[in-house]
Amino acid sequence: MINKVTTLAEAVKLVRQGEMLALGGMTLYRRPVAFARELIRQGTGDLTLLAFTASFASDLLVGAGLVNRVRSCYFGMEAFGLAPMFTKLATAGQVRVIEETEASIAFGLRATLAGVGFMPGQGWVETDLLKVRPDVKLVDDPYSDRRYVAFPAIKPDVAVIHARLADPSGNAVLGGNLAVDWELSIGSERVIITAERVVDKLEERADIVGLRVNAVVEAPGGARPTSCYPDYPLDSAEILRYVETCNSGGFEDYLREFLKG
Amino acid sequence: MISDYTIGELVCVCISRQVEDGEPLAQGLTTPLVMAGYLLAKLTHAPNVVFGSAIGNTVCTEWAPLSIARIEDIWLGQSIALISFPRIVCDILFGSQPKEFFRPGQIDPYGNFNNIFIGGSYERPTLRLPGCGGIADVTTYHSRVYFYVPRHSRAVFVERLDFLSGLGHGHRLPDYPGPRYLVSDLGQFDFEGEGGRMRLVSHHPGVSVEKIQKKTGFPLALSPELHETPPPTAEEVRLLREEIDPLGIRELETLGGARRRRKLREIIEREQ
Repeated sequence: MINKVTTLAEAVKLVRQGEMLALGGMTLYRRPVAFARELIRQGTGDLTLLAFTASFASDLLVGAGLVNRVRSCYFGMEAFGLAPMFTKLATAGQVRVIEETEASIAFGLRATLAGVGFMPGQGWVETDLLKVRPDVKLVDDPYSDRRYVAFPAIKPDVAVIHARLADPSGNAVLGGNLAVDWELSIGSERVIITAERVVDKLEERADIVGLRVNAVVEAPGGARPTSCYPDYPLDSAEILRYVETCNSGGFEDYLREFLKG
Repeated sequence: MISDYTIGELVCVCISRQVEDGEPLAQGLTTPLVMAGYLLAKLTHAPNVVFGSAIGNTVCTEWAPLSIARIEDIWLGQSIALISFPRIVCDILFGSQPKEFFRPGQIDPYGNFNNIFIGGSYERPTLRLPGCGGIADVTTYHSRVYFYVPRHSRAVFVERLDFLSGLGHGHRLPDYPGPRYLVSDLGQFDFEGEGGRMRLVSHHPGVSVEKIQKKTGFPLALSPELHETPPPTAEEVRLLREEIDPLGIRELETLGGARRRRKLREIIEREQ
């Protein structure tokens, strides 16, 4: 077994300026928040952020000025309202949105896994999405007279996934909410696993196999204030505090305090 | 009969009445009025519905009361199957076509809708919205597209959309029947008018047709069967308040501004 265990500070160095960074987990659930904190400390910027659904961790990265382009099908705080920094900066035209949907990300990642340039899907036709994504083309079905959207392959440079448990080679247990993490873990150029606990040998079956994993970091509480089911729930009071602090102009104060954590 | 109910509870009851026993039901992110309506259906006339949740991407046949902090306890803790999101999107949605209630940021008279931005241009909007999730993917074929609008206004019901991210009627898509139904805090609507135009089918108790027209940004077509929405029963209100949603999370969708912030804070404190 190859031992890939390292520190958060070393793992963050796998991300380089200008790259596409993908975050595992969903919305407010099992997000790599400890990793985001260290990334902001090191200041690796000009990133394209890929998050199937984006929320707290993504909003911090956007607010800290590390992200130039966002690829997501939903960027918000669920019951807590709009994502304050994304909404502010996207409305001001200061962060570019590469419009995505569930299918464009799911089929895009699958195209990468299959080693092809696109996957066809039924969505998007006749909508304005094709106008704001001129890179997305239609394709003729060679077996009928139908046309489909050819969702282009998506290959992140780095994916970072927070897990409940991992072994030193990067096999990992997610705890139920599978999100898009399998696809990210196989389809990305480099893969980082942060985990509540790193154990010598997993006692349960892995959701992620460590084949493409480069770094494993033990980060207890590393998803807080998002959840890590079933170890801890969403810290809803903290998410509310973030949203209200930002909405009254306090993002910089929040960030300063967050970076001490 | 019952005289005491909130408008949010009436919307839940209307949603519940659209549910058929045994069918699959999908719910998106942050749609507690819909979830409360689905659970009301399960506890009354539709005990065999199957839930697909965007929280955890799970399939559930059991249920639990609505929650914010512990929402995963419901959808992961009680799931009968765990499914990755790409499998939901690529392998399951087309074949199962679960009923889903979408909440449009803007909607036009033919049920075309927008969840991308409001006002200005795409590059410099007046307000950027969270995004359209999977709406643009499924509204080219899906046979069970439904809507709910918790706060009916001329800002939502518009003659012309700022952006088209969900398809209504009037497109060259032979397999797509278009949206079927809409409930707002003022009334219920179908899309059986000429060319799939939205029509008022019922006005909620105490709401005049004139008021609904005034709050709608295009001329309202009326169904010949226009009637008053039957109010919730006492048992439906009891189930919503005592069993399904004792914290009152459903009401977050009908409130705005400072009242919504107060309600959210109260729910979070009670859940700690």
